[in-house]
Amino acid sequence: MKTKPAVSVSRASLWHIPLAFLVAMALVPVLFALLYSFKSLQSIYGDAGLFTSGFTLDNYRDIARQLPIVQITLNTLTVAVLVTACKLLTSILAAYAFVFTSFRGKTVLYFLLISTIFIPFTVTMIPNYITVSKLNLFDSVLGIVLPQLADATGIFLLRQTMRSIPKSLIEIAELDGISRMRTLRDIILPICRPSIVATGIIFFINSWNEYVWPTLILRSKENYTLSLAMQLFSSSEAGTEFTTVMAMAVISMLIPVVLYLIFQRYIMSTFASSGIKG
Amino acid sequence: MSDKNTIVFDHVEKTYQKNTVIRDLNLTIPAGQRLILLGPSGCGKSTTLRMIAGLEEITGGELRMGGRRVNEVPSGKRDIAMVFQNYALYPHMTVRENITYALRVHKLDRAELETRLHSVLEILGLEPYVQRKPRELSGGQRQRVALARALVKQSRYLLLDEPLSNLDAQLRVQARKELVKIHDLYQQTFVYVTHDQVEAMTVGQRVALMNQGVLQMVDTPYRVYNRPANIFTAKFIGSPSTNILDADWADGVLHVQGQQIRLPDCWSWLAERSGEHELCLGIRPEHIRLQAGRAENGLTGTLRYVEDYGNKRGIYVDVGGTEVVCMCDRVPCAPGETVSFQLDSDHLHLFSRTTTNSLGYPDEVTESDDTQWDSREELLSYGTSA
Repeated sequence: MKTKPAVSVSRASLWHIPLAFLVAMALVPVLFALLYSFKSLQSIYGDAGLFTSGFTLDNYRDIARQLPIVQITLNTLTVAVLVTACKLLTSILAAYAFVFTSFRGKTVLYFLLISTIFIPFTVTMIPNYITVSKLNLFDSVLGIVLPQLADATGIFLLRQTMRSIPKSLIEIAELDGISRMRTLRDIILPICRPSIVATGIIFFINSWNEYVWPTLILRSKENYTLSLAMQLFSSSEAGTEFTTVMAMAVISMLIPVVLYLIFQRYIMSTFASSGIKG
Repeated sequence: MSDKNTIVFDHVEKTYQKNTVIRDLNLTIPAGQRLILLGPSGCGKSTTLRMIAGLEEITGGELRMGGRRVNEVPSGKRDIAMVFQNYALYPHMTVRENITYALRVHKLDRAELETRLHSVLEILGLEPYVQRKPRELSGGQRQRVALARALVKQSRYLLLDEPLSNLDAQLRVQARKELVKIHDLYQQTFVYVTHDQVEAMTVGQRVALMNQGVLQMVDTPYRVYNRPANIFTAKFIGSPSTNILDADWADGVLHVQGQQIRLPDCWSWLAERSGEHELCLGIRPEHIRLQAGRAENGLTGTLRYVEDYGNKRGIYVDVGGTEVVCMCDRVPCAPGETVSFQLDSDHLHLFSRTTTNSLGYPDEVTESDDTQWDSREELLSYGTSA
């Protein structure tokens, strides 16, 4: 009996070996980018050491000299926050309607909406481009955000979560004369919080890394997002400025990492929790 | 509690597309009464309760609460509190928040809120748990929180949908007593759904038995048990259930499984006045006194099998191919031997085989009830000649 916990502890430790390997796999590119961003272009060829050829901030200075990097970071953040907030809002409202209300053609409408997930971006790109241009929203943050106010994947994910809420929780609120919006705010949203945070993370990261759509819409460097800015260095006429690209990658990672540290508690609970307890 | 809190079902129907789940329901629940809706799974009892709550639309007839038609009144305006089978506690709120949530939303005066909260917490013994979340509570404690949330509203109607079904047997007995005490204290009109007949009998002042969307009988627990209105009621209430034997009434004698029994005069009179020949004889297992061998004017069969319940024995007797269960203190003979029992006039039930309804009971049916007989003289002359 006494040996049993020891066996399970050693088994748990064994699991850490493949897990550590996976963590290392994920960390290597990050460390690689971080390391190379502080090296000169010349030093990376034939020098695999840490900082044997010297530590430099030139790559960051180059970026700051060539681009309004703070403005670009703010643009990216604005787009990502707006897209995430709007998508979450529309997804929550639509998921609520699909789960807790009944109306004619609900199922058909839902499946029509879900089928839009399978329409590739290239199909909607041109119509969206024409719409945005006719609205005179070219080269603006709003032009990037506008076609991304709703997302069928978000509706699908949140609908699945809301379906797991016992109907009696909503009925008891109805019996107590609580309005639908109040029920959504006080009961449904807190219960769905882990899923909302998870969906929000997906929306934020997707928007943060978005490249094709901003390329079509944005023209002036002041309105660029980070992914566009990085592309400037990776496909410059003088060839790829590898170390500058790595510095841009580090800048691109900065805000998501800070946000991760701030929301770490929620993110961990999001992936650790499932279902309705109690 | 005023009579305003009466609930009246007037020819109420509930249909889902072409499927009728409640048929022509006529039921009055007097103010302040504990009415139990009892029946097997899928009989429509929960649908009936949900119609009172306003959670199910009524597709036919009229539902009146406090004298007012409420078919179109939203559930939040019916002054109802409800306890669900799964308790429906908000998992992210503490016990205190769960109990007071609706009151806070409706901006009840803070002092009044605290008074009501502490009153229910004290009655239900929940004071030590106010800061706990539902997942930190046991099943019994959650059930009490759900009840506290319903009571704190001080509504006119309290609906309970199988509130004890998730509790263990011991806790259920305790909770039953608590529910009755709480009702005596608050005197709300109390509608309670269960499929557990013991719960129904112990908690209810009246029991409404339903089957396949049709109300079978509404009466006191005593009468539902002792005076079942039809075969379904007789078989559903009691465990083991009532023995039902096909019987034919002919020439003033009851023919049961090829055996003839002369009924006591009062029962003969009832059978004769019904005009029915194809009957069913009902007798509860605990009302059968078995004896070894044959008995005069009794039913004879073969003892087949004995089950020992500790305090009683369940004895299975084959009477002309029909199995009859008897609950006895002792086994009169060995399996395979002949046993017999006489029909106890006080514990007999006769039903029409065509309508499955009871023919009535001798101490309850009077000549004035009779519509099939032309005159009192004729009736009396039969009574004396039988």
